[in-house]
Amino acid sequence: MKRKLSDSGLENDQPTGSTPKRPRTTQVQANGALNDLAPNHSPPNGDATYEHPPGLSTPKKANGIAPTPLKESGLKTPTHKTKARNLFATPTKPKTPAAGTPARLKIADRSAKKKSARVLLERDEDAEWDGSEQLAEEILQDDEAEKATEPVTESIEEGDTEKPKGKDAKAPKRRAGRPKGAKNKRSPTPEGELPAHERYFFQNRAGTIKTSNTTLNKVPLLNHEEYFEKLGQSVDPCAEEKEYLLSLHHRSFPQWNFEFEEGFNICLFGYGSKRKLVQQFADWLYHHSASKNPPIVIVNGYTPGISIRSIFAMIASALLGDDLPSKLGAQPTEVLELVQSALKNRPDIEGPVTVLINSVDAPPLRRAANQALLARLAATPRIRLLFTADTPNFTAMWDISLRDQLNHVFHDGTTFTPFAVESDVVEEVNSLLGRKGQRAGGKDGVGFVLKSLPENARNLYRLLLTEVITLMDDGHQSDDEGGANGGDNTDDNGIEFRVLYQKATEEFIASSEMMFRTLLKEFHDHQMITSRMDPSGMEILGVPLSRDEMEGVLEDLVLG
Amino acid sequence: MDPDGLDDVLDLSKDRSQNQGVYIYQPAKAGKASGERPSKRRKVSMNKDSIEKLDGPGFVPLLNGDESAECVQLRYDTYKQLWSEQEHKIQSILEDVDAGVLTDVLSFVRETSPQTSNGCIPTALVTVGSNVSSLSRLLSRLNDQLKSTNEGGVIVLESGDAPNLKTSLKNIIRAAVTNTEGNDGYQRFLTDRSGPRVLGYDLDLLHDYVQRRGTKKLVLALRDSEAFDPGLLTDLFHYSLLLGISTSVELFEGRLPRSCVSLLQGKHFEVQEAGNCVDRIYEALQTSSDGRIWVGRNITSTLFEKATDYFQTPEAFSRMVKYACMSHFFANPLAVLLGNPHKSILSQGQFCEAIRNLPSFRMFCEDLVETGSINEARSMIEDDEYLLRAASDHVDAGQQAMRHIFRAVLLIHTCLQHTHVTKKTTISDLSVRALSGELIDSPLVEDMLATVRTLDSEKLGEVLDTLPKTLSDDSALPGIQADLKALLEANPDSVPLRSEYNINSSVMKTTVVQQRVLLTKGTANLPEQDLQYTEIIDRLVGALHEYFIETLVRPQELFMNEAFVFDLRNPLKETFTPRPRFAIERALASPFDYLISTTAATAGARISAKQPAAAILYQLYLESGALVNVHDLWQAFYGVYESDQGKKVDDRVVMSLFYSALSDMKMFGMVKTSRKKTDHLAKSAWMGL
Repeated sequence: MKRKLSDSGLENDQPTGSTPKRPRTTQVQANGALNDLAPNHSPPNGDATYEHPPGLSTPKKANGIAPTPLKESGLKTPTHKTKARNLFATPTKPKTPAAGTPARLKIADRSAKKKSARVLLERDEDAEWDGSEQLAEEILQDDEAEKATEPVTESIEEGDTEKPKGKDAKAPKRRAGRPKGAKNKRSPTPEGELPAHERYFFQNRAGTIKTSNTTLNKVPLLNHEEYFEKLGQSVDPCAEEKEYLLSLHHRSFPQWNFEFEEGFNICLFGYGSKRKLVQQFADWLYHHSASKNPPIVIVNGYTPGISIRSIFAMIASALLGDDLPSKLGAQPTEVLELVQSALKNRPDIEGPVTVLINSVDAPPLRRAANQALLARLAATPRIRLLFTADTPNFTAMWDISLRDQLNHVFHDGTTFTPFAVESDVVEEVNSLLGRKGQRAGGKDGVGFVLKSLPENARNLYRLLLTEVITLMDDGHQSDDEGGANGGDNTDDNGIEFRVLYQKATEEFIASSEMMFRTLLKEFHDHQMITSRMDPSGMEILGVPLSRDEMEGVLEDLVLG
Repeated sequence: MDPDGLDDVLDLSKDRSQNQGVYIYQPAKAGKASGERPSKRRKVSMNKDSIEKLDGPGFVPLLNGDESAECVQLRYDTYKQLWSEQEHKIQSILEDVDAGVLTDVLSFVRETSPQTSNGCIPTALVTVGSNVSSLSRLLSRLNDQLKSTNEGGVIVLESGDAPNLKTSLKNIIRAAVTNTEGNDGYQRFLTDRSGPRVLGYDLDLLHDYVQRRGTKKLVLALRDSEAFDPGLLTDLFHYSLLLGISTSVELFEGRLPRSCVSLLQGKHFEVQEAGNCVDRIYEALQTSSDGRIWVGRNITSTLFEKATDYFQTPEAFSRMVKYACMSHFFANPLAVLLGNPHKSILSQGQFCEAIRNLPSFRMFCEDLVETGSINEARSMIEDDEYLLRAASDHVDAGQQAMRHIFRAVLLIHTCLQHTHVTKKTTISDLSVRALSGELIDSPLVEDMLATVRTLDSEKLGEVLDTLPKTLSDDSALPGIQADLKALLEANPDSVPLRSEYNINSSVMKTTVVQQRVLLTKGTANLPEQDLQYTEIIDRLVGALHEYFIETLVRPQELFMNEAFVFDLRNPLKETFTPRPRFAIERALASPFDYLISTTAATAGARISAKQPAAAILYQLYLESGALVNVHDLWQAFYGVYESDQGKKVDDRVVMSLFYSALSDMKMFGMVKTSRKKTDHLAKSAWMGL
């Protein structure tokens, strides 16, 4: 946060584009060194000892200044990364300083400045290497710069002459006697023009990695519902381009077909879901095929429960139609052999079978055994196989003999379509952020489980929810934080086991403790309740859902 | 929630196919299809209207869609015909390569039995090395042979078939029965049995089957025997065995327990290495005397780079050649000239324009102008009729020239075999040089000519004997040969004759002058016949040199070479050595490489909200260190949208984009949870590494 905002602070004085920070930096640095002698002196030529003469380097530095939001440090350090900078340029902020969010910026700047001052006081080697010191300095400088440039913003071209004066006035603020030249040569972020391996070692160098300590605690995370709702509201800025990209792929359809005919199998890779593309290719094949009703089998490899046998069985049924034997073998190889023999017996007039597999590198199909079976399928004559692969390293799945059997030609099928069906976005992100295991699929998951449970169990869950919500309403302490962070504090709210049992018997939900426990076990298995011992040894039952979700489930229960 | 908008965003079609694991494609209903039609229509109209049903060729008319249907058809037919010839050659080479091993293995299978090998299981160990595919070829042919003579069959077992003993036995039995009886036969075989019902993995079944069919030999082939669980193998070894081994016999033996090894009596067979095969295939394709189409230099080097740097089977090699050939005919309108088209079917205007745009055409015309035949050049440019005639003439002439080039290559190769015994130069090396027009100046040829000079008459006789086949039309050669013969007959005693270039004929003189050693080389006094022989040698070398200069032209300088030499590295390289990671990184790092903007407002490499969310996040990610604070990442991500759209941006919407982008990154394996700090991610992929 601090860094980010300090950047925007920097950007705010970008209007003085033609007189960028370069001269100022040197100014300040010069002053820093010289301020004992002559605080109000105009920049002497003596700074050449530390830097190039400002006049010379000004144009070069000008384009190198563009600040980046995540850059660790060294925003304006006189390093050799001018070129790299252009690559990592950030979007420009609104041009006038006032256009941003001044209040927020100011507050953040202030705190950033406090921190920077502290950093400068407690400087140590590590920080130098890390560059936080330089950052700190810049934040302080910014402050000065801003004040210095504010009057200048109207007359951009004059910045050159006016700024130094303003700067010099501020200069005494700076700490005295910094050995700058030597220090700044050791650039903390020599990124950008580093070759990839150097960058790797640089970023993985020993020592503490400085990142800020902010956490996501204050940021409410999304649940499934909100995610889909909000995603629905977003507008895709590149819809047209994506459409055009897709149409480019369409033009390859005849080529792919030709490759199919010549016995090659196809593998599409690249960023984006290729499901739609595959669907359209199937359409195209269907309408352009010579035979009347070409068998096309489509497989979605990302489906969690998919088995290789089911794929083979579907191909067999596509081939044989009504002649399908009532009992297929249990082993995938048996079904595969059935397919192969069926193909052998099939008259030549009938076209080949086309199998289109989406996301062949998705976890359910990723296993080596599955890939070996698919390769055998691919090697079967008159089977045409199209794979799509989403991950960057999918080729590692196949060794040389599999590659030989698969007989692939690869095409770049980048579509930029989001992986909407292929991955469970919210769940993935939650697991990435370590927020997993709190609930069984959130509200939807609980609702789904409940639907499959008997009336009794539903009633018990309803009772449990009602009790917990009532408790939450009573407990004052939870209200404050409850809104901000749903998941965590529900653990504090729970109903005592005995109490719940009592209520359950009163409502004729459970007649014995045995039965009650059986019902609870079912909830336990689906992670729909939590149970813990309170200090006095009583068992407390809770629900791992946020307040809103609980109410939602309760609503569904009562209405349904 | 607006379901339509959501579906559009998420690309959810309304049929529920996306959640089904596997289903048979059904064409969309008319009502639903209307939504998708426009894009397809557009594509169709862009190409051509008559693409409705692809009964015959799958080729698309080229030249902006103006190519005539006849040309398309002709291209397709020519491709089919040419490739089937090539395919045939490749197959015969492969068969030839395998033949030796096949007969060995076959005789091994026929002759051995547990009795002949002291009760041990006769085992053939076949090392295939990198030539992985050859084993399956071998096995299938072995199977055909055994089946045709009704001796038995081959059961192929792959490591995937044998997770445990029960399944592998079952698989063996089933494979044995279905091999001859078919799938239904197997079912019948199982059910028709009298007596108690036997389970699928009972070896009695197999025994029964063997008795019924009178099978003498049943070969069990383990294809990738290294991949098998060694413990399982121990249990399995009960038959005549055939093992395919990729590494070495010793390694394989080391993995088996001793009790098991003692059961086996092995014989070792070796399959020819892939590299050799590849060379032979290449030679057959390029140098055949009736070749009509050639692989260019770039493709050749790509092919061999791939064949040597990676393990590659001969099949894979020939597939790559095939693909190159396919792309040539698919995408090059000039390829139609190879089918000897009738003038009338060439759609003249566009086609002639295409020819006039060739680099070789330009070169040709410039040459014409330089040599003074301006009128000819003018009519080449202006007269379509004339141009077409010249083009097809030159295609013929060029093909002839190419044949000559490769004939010369073969000649050099044979000469080299006679001269350079130590350093082996393959046809492919020579071809690459020849195709780039560098062979004539290469040290190889010079060295070769120099060695030819030093040959004595016996060796020269051998060389000359091999030459006439390829050099029959060269008039100088028969004369030289006749002279040599005459000379030899005239001097029957002093064979072998040596030329003056021979090392034996020169004498080293050593003189010591004032404590310094002086070496002087002088020609020894040669007998008369040797001088005559030297003269013959000189004539021969001269003739060869002339011949090389004449034939080894640069193929790129032949007019119309684009029609009969295919040499585009790119579709080939990209389709066979994909770089998926690079593609994804590129898509994310500079998305507008792919998303070609229609508005041109998105120029520049800056991160902006105009880019797809995942691309924004990836670029931020690139800038970060090895450890990423998610909160800061989110703030930066949000900042991108905020700065672009100002206050009106809904942070929850941005959050949802952030979510999808982050999950993409996780799916690509670029980030993982870090335990070092709360809410931090560890970077796990570096761009470009």
